[in-house]
Amino acid sequence: MLKIQEIREIIKLVDASSIEEFVYEADEVKVKLKKNSGIVISNHTPEAPKPIETVQAAPAVEAPVAKAAPAVEKQEAKTVETASTESLHKIVSPMVGTFYQAPSPDAKPFVQVGDKIGEESIVCIVEAMKLFNEIEAEVKGEIVEILVTDGELVEYGQPLFLVKEN
Amino acid sequence: MNTPIKYEIVKRLLAAKDKPISGQQLADELQISRTAVWKYMKQLEEEGYEFEATRKKGYLLQKSPDTLDPSKIKALLETKRFGREIIYEESLTSTQTIAHQLAQEGALDGTLVICEEQTEGRGRLMREWKSQKGKGIWMSIIMRPDVAPYQAPQFTLVAAVALTYAIFDVTGVSPAIKWPNDLLINGMKCTGILTEMQADPDRVNAIIMGIGINVNHQQEDFGEEIASIATSLRISLGKEIDRAALVAKILYYMEAFSKQYVAEGFEKIKTLWEKNSCTIGNRIKATTLRETFIGKAVGITKDGVLQLLLDDGTIKEIISADIELEK
Repeated sequence: MLKIQEIREIIKLVDASSIEEFVYEADEVKVKLKKNSGIVISNHTPEAPKPIETVQAAPAVEAPVAKAAPAVEKQEAKTVETASTESLHKIVSPMVGTFYQAPSPDAKPFVQVGDKIGEESIVCIVEAMKLFNEIEAEVKGEIVEILVTDGELVEYGQPLFLVKEN
Repeated sequence: MNTPIKYEIVKRLLAAKDKPISGQQLADELQISRTAVWKYMKQLEEEGYEFEATRKKGYLLQKSPDTLDPSKIKALLETKRFGREIIYEESLTSTQTIAHQLAQEGALDGTLVICEEQTEGRGRLMREWKSQKGKGIWMSIIMRPDVAPYQAPQFTLVAAVALTYAIFDVTGVSPAIKWPNDLLINGMKCTGILTEMQADPDRVNAIIMGIGINVNHQQEDFGEEIASIATSLRISLGKEIDRAALVAKILYYMEAFSKQYVAEGFEKIKTLWEKNSCTIGNRIKATTLRETFIGKAVGITKDGVLQLLLDDGTIKEIISADIELEK
C-alpha cells in the first residue's frame, strides 16, 4: 500500500505538472488525484485488476506551447495552490478508547473548529482502561472539522479531526 | 550511586524476616569488621530502627522508621532499571505533573518521582486525590516500553497485579482488584492508579504511571467525605508499615511484570489479574460519560476489556467507565 509520504510526493509531482487527473491502482488500493477537487483515496477492490496507468502528459490547455503562452502558465500555477490546500490532514486515533474533547467534564475543550494548532498542540484525550493518551496534532494548521463527539468510543485508526495544513 | 553500608544491613535483615542474622555473617558479607557492623547498628538505632539482638543467634529487625529516604529505597531495590533514578521531594504539586516534564526532557526508563505530600494530587478526569503528608506513597514511575500505543492500556492491569503482589509481600494483606486497577480492602479503596501516556502515532515515548497508596493513615486521617470509602494498609494490618520497603517491592514487581507483558503478551498477567479480582462474578454498575450499564461482570477479554452481561442477555464490553460494585 502507498505510504502517506509517497502520496504526498505524488501530489507534489502532479501539482508541478500540467496533469489534470491522476489515477493509480494496485492490489487493493486506488488513488485518484484530480486538480480542483482535491484528493480522493479509496480502498475498494477494483472489479478486475488493471495494470498501473502510467502518467500521461495531458496538458490542461490544448495547443499552445509554453513559450507561446506565458499567461496560461501563470494561471495554472494558481490552480495548483488551491488544490493542495483542499487536501485535508486527518488526525486519527492511535488506539481503541473513549474520546474526550476536554481534560475534565467541566473544562473547556482542548480545541474547537477554527483553532490554529501547532505540531505539539494537544487536541484531545483517548482513554482505554484508565490509560489516558493525550493526542498531539503532529501537524501545523487549522482545525476544520471535529469528526467525533465527547465521550464517543473510537476505533484504532479512526479519523478524529480534519486539519487544513499550513 | 553507592548504597550506604548501613542500608545494606537493613536490606539483609528485612529479607531474612524472622530469621536472625549474626554480626559475623553481616561482617563477612559486607567485608567489614564486626566493630564496624556494631557501629552501623548504633547509627541505625539513632535513625529509629529497632533490633532484637540475641547472643549466638544474631540480629532481628523489629521496627523500621517510616522514611522515604532515596538512599534507603535504593538499598532495598532488587531491580535493574526501575528506581535507579529517584527524584524525591518533601512536597510537590503532583508527582504526575513533574514526571511528565521529566519524561519530555528525556528521563530514563524506570525513573521514580516520589514525595511526602502532594498539594494537587489528582485522579481520573482531574478529580482530586487526597495525599496527606507522610502517610502514604505518592509516586510516579516513568516507563519506556518498546510497544505501540494500542498495547499500552494493558499496563494499567499489569500495575494492579504488581501492586497486589508487592502489598502482600510486605504486609501480608491481600487487596482485591476492582476493574481496571483500583485496589480494595474489605470493599474500601486503598490504592488508586492513574496512567498517562506520551506517544507518537505508532510508538510509545513514555508511560507515566501515577500510584497513590494509603499506607499509614489512621481512621481519623480520612476526611468525612471519603471516610466511608477509603482505607489504609495500616488500618487493615494494625501496625505501621515501612513505606520505603513497600516502594522497593512495587518497583520490583512493576519491572518484572512489565517485562513479562512485553516479552510474552498479556495472557499470564490476565490470569493473575483474574485471580486477584473482586470484579468478576459480581453485579456492577459501570458509568461512562454518556450512559450507565448495570450487569454481571463475567470476565475480561484477552486485552483486558471488561465484559458485562446485561439483564437482556447481551454482553457489553466496557473500555472506560467508573465501576461500582453493587451491594
